[in-house]
Amino acid sequence: MKNKAIVSKKVGKDLSEKTVSAIAYVYMFLFSLLALLPILHVASKGVSSGEFVTAGLVRFFPRGFQLETLKFIILGTGFLPAMKNTILITGIGTAISMVTTILTAYPLSKSEFRGRKVILFLYVFSMIFYGGMIPAYMVMRTLGILDSIWACILPFAIIQFNMFIVKNYFEALPSEIEESAKVDGAGDLRILVSIILPMSTPVISTVGLLYAINYWNNYFHAMMYTISESMRTLQVYLYNLINTSSEVAMNLASGDGMTNLTSAGLVAAAVSISVLPILVAYPFVQKFLVKGMTVGSVKG
Amino acid sequence: MIILIACTVFAKGASEASATGEKKTGTKNALLGPGNVTIKSVYQNVTFDPNTDLMAGLIEKSTGYKAEYFTLPAQNADEKLALEVASGVNYDIIRCSRSQFNMLLASNALMPLNDLLDEYGQDIIAGHTQETWDAVSDKNKVIYGIPYKYAADKEVASFIVCRKDLMKKAGITEMPITLDEFYNTLVTLKKYYGNQYIILTGPYLPATEKNENWKFPKVIASAFGIWGEWMTDENGKVIYMTEAKGFKPMLEFMNKLYNEGLLDPDWAVSTNDSVAEKFSSGKAIMACSSRTGCTTMSPAVIKNVGITYDDLSYISPLEGKDGTCTYMMTEAISSISVIPKSCKHPADVINWCHLKLQDQLYLNFGIEGTHFTYDADGNMTPNNPLFANERGNSYWYCNAMDMAKYQKDWPARIRKSEAQWQCWKGTTIATVNSRDHVFVDNPFKFMTAQENYSKFNSALHTSLNDFVVQVICGSKTVDGINMLEKDLAANNLNQVRAELQAYLGAK
Repeated sequence: MKNKAIVSKKVGKDLSEKTVSAIAYVYMFLFSLLALLPILHVASKGVSSGEFVTAGLVRFFPRGFQLETLKFIILGTGFLPAMKNTILITGIGTAISMVTTILTAYPLSKSEFRGRKVILFLYVFSMIFYGGMIPAYMVMRTLGILDSIWACILPFAIIQFNMFIVKNYFEALPSEIEESAKVDGAGDLRILVSIILPMSTPVISTVGLLYAINYWNNYFHAMMYTISESMRTLQVYLYNLINTSSEVAMNLASGDGMTNLTSAGLVAAAVSISVLPILVAYPFVQKFLVKGMTVGSVKG
Repeated sequence: MIILIACTVFAKGASEASATGEKKTGTKNALLGPGNVTIKSVYQNVTFDPNTDLMAGLIEKSTGYKAEYFTLPAQNADEKLALEVASGVNYDIIRCSRSQFNMLLASNALMPLNDLLDEYGQDIIAGHTQETWDAVSDKNKVIYGIPYKYAADKEVASFIVCRKDLMKKAGITEMPITLDEFYNTLVTLKKYYGNQYIILTGPYLPATEKNENWKFPKVIASAFGIWGEWMTDENGKVIYMTEAKGFKPMLEFMNKLYNEGLLDPDWAVSTNDSVAEKFSSGKAIMACSSRTGCTTMSPAVIKNVGITYDDLSYISPLEGKDGTCTYMMTEAISSISVIPKSCKHPADVINWCHLKLQDQLYLNFGIEGTHFTYDADGNMTPNNPLFANERGNSYWYCNAMDMAKYQKDWPARIRKSEAQWQCWKGTTIATVNSRDHVFVDNPFKFMTAQENYSKFNSALHTSLNDFVVQVICGSKTVDGINMLEKDLAANNLNQVRAELQAYLGAK
């Protein structure tokens, strides 16, 4: 009798759990559609026939499948150089930024470091008061790096906010570990590389990701500091394409592309393939983004 | 702000340069010749890489000069140009917009070209009329730029495209010429099709026309004597559109169309894309459009509803009851090529432009028999797709042109696209051939930058368009024009008017 009651209670619990799970799944499925459908719509437009795109007949699946638009975007426009530049800037820039950030944050995390407060004040000051576009442009010009990837990298070689996150993290690490390493004869560099950095992977990966996103998305500096078409970054390329797509489509109306090359189709195709690197990388870096919400913050 | 500071920085550099300018002029005017100079040029933004495009190679081969091409971004182009020039980057030639020309001229950044053109560019001078040169000169007739005009002085740039197949089914065999015929056509279509189709969708606002983008079709406005936002009356007095006799009747007419269900119910919120979608998908019988719009709309509707180009027709400027029909000419300067003071080889830059002009036919249209042929009337016909593939981007590289010759052959560039050619034939050619008198000269076509106009005209334009939409869609009546007039006055209408009147007086 007792067993029967337990079984029935268990069945009841299973049912309610299942119902809650089902509701949760349906709920999450609907929410994921909110994110997925716009992507499907844009991607479908990029590979649909021009007449369907112009007439607004493409919803979430391609109609009149064609690859001419994608082919034109990849081979007939500055897409590939722009993608190459953005990948280079993101890769090299993130590496440089991490080195400068760590090498700055580590000494500043030590209270015994002389002049620490003055240097910290300078970082805070420059974080609040920006010199302005023209002085920055003049600096780039004087350095002779205008119209090169370095003009898009060096201004972000260190972002004060990110440096403070790393510094705070370093400060929270137990000093006893460093002291024991010193007793064993390790120098500052050895302690940083072999002790501190392995203990700081959460903050390093998170800040690295923040830098990478900043380099990838940066539009304004790339637009102001570059002028050769071959030096354009992906964001500048996309903005230019969106602005000139109707002119491009009109101009190509009787070339090899003919009717499939429409203004909306060109933009959709370019946007679709532009997000591919992010889509591929996102699953691997997603956990760092979540960690980034709390890392460096004060925990109660 | 960036422009202002950049201009100040440049003005300082420019004045320093002019202090020693006399001595340098001699060396600056020296021609080094093709092969000895690389021309660094700046143009407006573009999607392809102009340095690797076929045209770059053709120009180098034709002129003997190597050229490097740089582009301004789509956004903040003025700020970017101001920064580039102010920082003294050594560009040799900049193809800039009218507003950018004014900005650089005001900053004392441009090199006077009279001597250079006299010495190395006689054909360049001959390529334009004196009136055009005056538009790029200061009061002392010092030339600061080489103009590039829009190739069509007369074009019905905005029109209504129609489904002739559906009109025929409803018993309409002739395209309307007058406003009454147009109204009767709409009513007949409504009676025949009811709510099955949108009778007329619009408005269509071409991105290039900016201040001429009105929320009513220009081909309807023509019947009410309205051809521009700023116009002149029979006495030469400058008037704003709202002061024209036909303005109120035009709005009443548009409102009548809307109330009778002859216009798209979404008229107030329509975008170019939604207009194109409705026509291309076969939901609308008529649509406001332009040559650019028809490039994609026409092929799309042909494929989607299974018709041919013969089933499309076009409504050109309509005539009013008293025969009134006015449509503004499209003659304008689209860009100006300037040489900044920092240029080290201006003589070679002018020579480069001159050599390009000498080879204008080959560079812009190709080889006769290969890229194009001439028909019996002497009109150029392109051989597609070769013409489009190999000369499609040539327009972007133009600086100095022999405009008369270029204008004659230019329609071949429209002919690259069947869709464009069909609407060009159906509107511009038809109107020029049969009703050339409808085109009205724009007295402000070559107007230099005017302070009040630059500051206040956008606000005037917005107030006007807002009021127009509200009246068309019935949320306001035309009697509320007093409120609009007050609004316009508050937005400095009279200051702009006084400025434009003074400009005309000084012409």
